[in-house]
Amino acid sequence: MEIDIGKTIRISDFVCATDGRALVVDTTLPGSLGATSGLEHVAEALRQITDIADGVIVNPGQAEHHADLLGGRRRASPLVRVDWSNAQRGPDFCLPASQFKHLFISDAEDVLALGASAAVASLFLGFDDDAEAKNIEALSHLARECYRLGLPLVIDVRPVGYKVGPGNFAESIKLGVSFMQELGADVLIIPECDLATCATIGGWIAVPVLLRLAEIPDAGRAEEFLKTGLRGFVLGEDIFARQGYTGRLAELADHLHGRSGDDALAG
Amino acid sequence: MTRSPGKAARLNRLFNPKDGRAVCVAADHGWMSDVTPNVMELRRILELVVRGGADGILISFGTAVRHGHLLRGKDSPAMLIRADWMNMPRLGASNVSNVLPVVNFKKMATSRARDALLMGASAITIYYFIGYSDEFEALNIEQAADFAKECRKVGLPLIIEPMAVGGMVTGVNIAEILIASGRIAAEIGADALKIPYTGDVKTFKELVDKAGVPVLVLGGAKSDVPRDALELVDEALRAGAAGTVFGRNVTKAKDPQKMVADICALVHGGKTIAEILGERRAVGQRLKPVPAQCVGCLLCEVACVRAHSPGYSQTRARLRIESPQLGDELRAFKPVVCTLCGQCVEACQPGALTIGPEARLVLNKSLCTQCGACVDACPFHLIFTEEGYPVLCDLCEGDPECVKWCKRGAIVLTEWKRRARYVHAE
Repeated sequence: MEIDIGKTIRISDFVCATDGRALVVDTTLPGSLGATSGLEHVAEALRQITDIADGVIVNPGQAEHHADLLGGRRRASPLVRVDWSNAQRGPDFCLPASQFKHLFISDAEDVLALGASAAVASLFLGFDDDAEAKNIEALSHLARECYRLGLPLVIDVRPVGYKVGPGNFAESIKLGVSFMQELGADVLIIPECDLATCATIGGWIAVPVLLRLAEIPDAGRAEEFLKTGLRGFVLGEDIFARQGYTGRLAELADHLHGRSGDDALAG
Repeated sequence: MTRSPGKAARLNRLFNPKDGRAVCVAADHGWMSDVTPNVMELRRILELVVRGGADGILISFGTAVRHGHLLRGKDSPAMLIRADWMNMPRLGASNVSNVLPVVNFKKMATSRARDALLMGASAITIYYFIGYSDEFEALNIEQAADFAKECRKVGLPLIIEPMAVGGMVTGVNIAEILIASGRIAAEIGADALKIPYTGDVKTFKELVDKAGVPVLVLGGAKSDVPRDALELVDEALRAGAAGTVFGRNVTKAKDPQKMVADICALVHGGKTIAEILGERRAVGQRLKPVPAQCVGCLLCEVACVRAHSPGYSQTRARLRIESPQLGDELRAFKPVVCTLCGQCVEACQPGALTIGPEARLVLNKSLCTQCGACVDACPFHLIFTEEGYPVLCDLCEGDPECVKWCKRGAIVLTEWKRRARYVHAE
């Protein structure tokens, strides 16, 4: 695949140029739910992980407020989320969502000015047809803009709509990654799924695919996924609520990049 | 925290670099709500606010064109431009300011950040309504994001004003919604927040901590007595707020200049409310409502009646619970209780009413002429008469039943400070 030098340089900020792997942490859920457990103080949380992770997904506001904690040598690169949705507002939230909403809160030029190494946006699958079509239209425009600016586009495939159930979950993921590869995504994020699905995707999709996990996997579990051809992990906001997550994150980084745990902690 | 040089410079104009705090006045009501004297006399009020020493004044674009020259000079208040418009004060028929009612809640972006920058503004302010509907919130998020992008581009600070409004907002969830909305606004790109008080120090502190950007508390509807407004400021500061954006409590005050100066004394001067109001030492306790905790169960009213007389007629309660109204910033039930403000005592010419040594209202029937002045003077309309004599809250002789029965803590006891000017007897 041929991509321009801007994208090449910026992708290498968070997908290791040597081993092609990436460890990314997502901190953007508070953009929809308010501060989640462990992410009450963003700066504190970022300080804990910036020397360990390869990239951190942040909302535009936090990318601006905490630019001093991200990017540069041996620190996690900022990957800025350009969209917002209420899809995660369940019944336990103080204002549960009754109607799915997804919209764009930033654009490629804006996040490039914020120092981002990539723009991140979601493809929601399983909601009504209009929502899906609008989502694809918006992502297509974003992909063209990113191409023009040499900015990598990371697409977060989220089959979470009411049409998706256990029977079509895996196929929905495959559909999503197929669409997004065709659309021009540079990196894909897929939700946690079975190893067979991971293997199909890992062996077929040409761009790096990262697996979203709610918990930090141990080395054995991580290796199972990596053997399928996936290139790394995106860890969700839940990890910040766990005790001792930095140590486990460092172990995962070590395993992913073949470093010793001490090396990973030392950056 | 990192910010562009433009934003940093302009925020330094708004927030006093010595203490990081700001006292702002919102004077944009004529842009969205009723035509009241404070709207019609805006120029005079703005002059007084400037003299009072405000750090910032929130005005509409049109006001900036007409009266922006009042903000000339290095030590003048920073200009904050209201960059959007909404019709919330006119929503529904129950609002007193509802001259021309509207049915559909609307909010429009009306100025660009660049327009405000060229006007000399130090920031723009926009609303973020949450709780009305998913559709309306999405529109608000979209507009806020557009403003955030443009503000980043031109280096102008963005102040977002989250407002929990709508049928999904109750007294039970309002604090939680405000806490979440403050953080969401910061994630979108707010450089500071203008936000209603949650009702108590604990939840407001949580809001401030989780927002991660400077928080300015707004005053909402005009308080019946200035002390209440100052207490709100005091509590917000204790919770970590970076200052205030008070509107009607200043622009509708008898003396806007003094009100601003009093708030400045609290925010910047480190003065206590007692020092500002010339009060003496604390001698007791008084009731304090916490609307965010009230669910409108009315147990307090029943307990009050039962404590003083047989029967359950709540019309004879010495407190009341007000239901939420459309247009209220805090869509919550509101306990209205005697706060020992002393206005009834001041109004009682014969001196029949006093605040006794145990910090309770005491009626000397032998001195009472049944003139009714105390009934008229009560700013909360809590005093009524029986056989001609006023019936008042006596704090149940120091152990108020309403406090005991309210398990949610919507009515609590707080320190009461005696004010020298209305004490008739010790």
